[in-house]
Amino acid sequence: MLLRKILATVKGNPKLVALLVGLFIVQGVLQARIDPLRRDPAVEPQSIKKLMPGQEASVDSAKPTYLPFEYSLAAISGFRQVIAGLLWVRADSFFHSGNYDAILPLLRLITWLDPNWLDVYSTGAWHLMYNFTDTDQRSDRRYLPVGIALLDEGIAANSTVFDLYKEKGWNYYDKIRDYEKAVKAYEQARDNDPEHDINVVEHLLAHSLDRLGDPDRTIKAWEDAMARHKVRWDEAKGKAGKEEVESRNRQGYQSSKNNRRIVAVRKYCRTRDIARLGPVDANLQVSVTRIRPGVLQIAGSWNLEGCIKDQFDDVNFDVDGNPKTPNATGGILMHGPVDGARMMVRLQDAGYVMPEPKEFTFEVPDDLTIMQEDLNIRGGRRCDKGSLFAISPNPTADINAERAQIYNIKADIAPALKGIPVDQALASGQLSPHGQLQLVTYAYPPQMAKKKFYTAQDVSTLLAELKADKDRIELIKSKKIMVATVPYSAPGEFGTHREIDMSKDPKMYSFKKPEYDVIVAFYPRRAPDFVQDRIGWNGEGLTDKRYLREDILPGCRMLYVKLKLTRDDIMSPGKKVLFDDKTGVGLDKLQK
Amino acid sequence: MNTALVIARNTISEALRKKILNAFLMVGFAMLVLTFAFQQFAPRQELTLVKGMGLGIISMAAILITVILSINLIPTEIERRTIYTILSKPVRRTEFLLGKYFGAVGTLAINIGMMGIAFVIAIALKQRGAEGVDSPLVMFKGILMIYMQMVLLSATAIFFSTFLSPLVNFFLTISLFIVGNLSSFTIDLAKASTNVLAKGFFTTVHYLVPNFANFNYTNPLVQVNVQVKSEIQLLSQNCVYAIVYATVLMILSILVFDRREV
Repeated sequence: MLLRKILATVKGNPKLVALLVGLFIVQGVLQARIDPLRRDPAVEPQSIKKLMPGQEASVDSAKPTYLPFEYSLAAISGFRQVIAGLLWVRADSFFHSGNYDAILPLLRLITWLDPNWLDVYSTGAWHLMYNFTDTDQRSDRRYLPVGIALLDEGIAANSTVFDLYKEKGWNYYDKIRDYEKAVKAYEQARDNDPEHDINVVEHLLAHSLDRLGDPDRTIKAWEDAMARHKVRWDEAKGKAGKEEVESRNRQGYQSSKNNRRIVAVRKYCRTRDIARLGPVDANLQVSVTRIRPGVLQIAGSWNLEGCIKDQFDDVNFDVDGNPKTPNATGGILMHGPVDGARMMVRLQDAGYVMPEPKEFTFEVPDDLTIMQEDLNIRGGRRCDKGSLFAISPNPTADINAERAQIYNIKADIAPALKGIPVDQALASGQLSPHGQLQLVTYAYPPQMAKKKFYTAQDVSTLLAELKADKDRIELIKSKKIMVATVPYSAPGEFGTHREIDMSKDPKMYSFKKPEYDVIVAFYPRRAPDFVQDRIGWNGEGLTDKRYLREDILPGCRMLYVKLKLTRDDIMSPGKKVLFDDKTGVGLDKLQK
Repeated sequence: MNTALVIARNTISEALRKKILNAFLMVGFAMLVLTFAFQQFAPRQELTLVKGMGLGIISMAAILITVILSINLIPTEIERRTIYTILSKPVRRTEFLLGKYFGAVGTLAINIGMMGIAFVIAIALKQRGAEGVDSPLVMFKGILMIYMQMVLLSATAIFFSTFLSPLVNFFLTISLFIVGNLSSFTIDLAKASTNVLAKGFFTTVHYLVPNFANFNYTNPLVQVNVQVKSEIQLLSQNCVYAIVYATVLMILSILVFDRREV
């Protein structure tokens, strides 16, 4: 019946039917031409194939697979972005209500729906790597490989834009502190996207190389950044609407130049000063005490030395950071124990090594325990005979004293440190050359912009001036500045007043394994500049009779203590010293 | 053809008088305003959300307007018996059908155009002073694609309306729209399939069913980091595809409607 009707229609309208057939073929041909055009990932976002174990996301591995069919319902009708947007709004509300776990499945769905949404990857990775914390705000480091995997997935879907390489670089730089991988990520950001933001890609590449302890490559990276800034600056110069580009690149060029100079000066000074002063003996001492089940105190002391130096003094170095004379006088003038560096302590399942990120999943192993914390080092004091100290409860009470490297000593320690008032020392000639420099630096703070430190000639002139200036001497005396008559030295301490409490977060610290590694380490590459000035980028000026290791990080001399503790050691009741190298307790726990 | 245009003009006037269309229009505008509720996000994220939501909302409103308008154009005339008056005059059925269709696409042009202009103004206000962002006018590419998609959807609904009741037509048109949006999957399934029958089935579906997914063009407009290699080629071929396929459907409608007892 139907067939007869169709045949009758065809016979009755042969031209129209012929046109119909012709147009139908045309639409088929058109569709065949449109199909490959729509395969442009920009038009039809595609989910990314899972990376093989050990494979790293790269342009080569960015071959997509398509959205799993079970999610196709969400993708229909061109509403991918709408659904992704609504989910992202929901994720944001979960974030603000502190329901962090609920965000992870949403992240998974959003990145499937809209793999080109860079902010979701970067914010998601930040969330994973920074926001999951224990009660004491220590990061849950089980999420680190997952966060990197999410970024790798985003990179594979967006391999020609710099943004996610940059995010990956930053997470390696700041959170994981693997500077080699940070360098690699920033180099990829630079090389894969010619339009990258120089300020955030190349500047951080140079900073990463600096942290990697490679001044030559750092200088080269700053020079590259300068050259690229210059090109963009010149292109934008004088063009309407390009004022901000011009300004940003002009400033970027100048800061790159300045940073390049700083690295050049440091390279000159650090090499020379470490050779001149010799290595610092850290004399690291460590103790690990169980306070109660799941609560440890990891403490110790060591001789952390840093310095104040005149490395930026224009008198000694030109604008490119080259010394003006063959033996420029810039470099360390005052050095000694300093606060500000940090000792890394880490407790983890025995033998754990952070796995290479494979695939983004919001499941983390619930039987894995990792705790990491950086302990501040404080309280290092040294006062040689004839040098100055101040009696004060506040370690940073007086900026001039700090600048003159006059240590504040608490009143309860002061009796052990015998001293005499400044006027008495001046009259009796008990000031050492270092004490004289300290005194004139304190009494007449040098102009920061022009001259940062006094020369020997300056010191003798100013000292004579000071002797006649009774009011100033009285002022110095009123600040309880004293001159040591006996040497005094106290090492810097860490962890003395800090309990590492892992008992409150059993989900994060499950302690399901029988054995654990406790690592106490000082990485010179992570140290502040004023410490690196004394010990070098790679610990060249650092030594320790027990804990100096050169095999942990290639090319880096660092302090590294590794202990093996059992679950019982950590979780048994009662207070117990598990390891103390000073008293010889638990030395069998020490691992090579 | 003049007759068809007269019918089209009347269809537009009548359609714009229908309150349901205004209601959808209001919904569209209201949801556009809602897209400004993302102030808590960073500017770039906010812009992504506003653009994605805006285009999605216009698309959703346009689908409802198109389907409800198109499925009722012919049956209403039959139900009200006004078709007898029209066809008793020197008006051919083809002219009547084309007039109705042109009226529908004209109404859609007005509706989608208005929503599109409001959306572009909203985006322009949103990204005022922002650097490194595309002109808000590029959003018209997305609006054009939504419109061409609706041109095709309207032809589909009108074709079904020549022999189906509005209720059945509604579900069939929506179902076909969904299947037509799965064209990426049908072609992938055809390619992946080793069974000859399955391969043939999915290939046929891919080339037979109108590919509404061709017109989904939100991603390149929303994400600043993606760039389409052959944009003009793709957009122009999509437009031609919509016109050709709509013509196919209208010829089919004419063939069916010509033989229908009214």
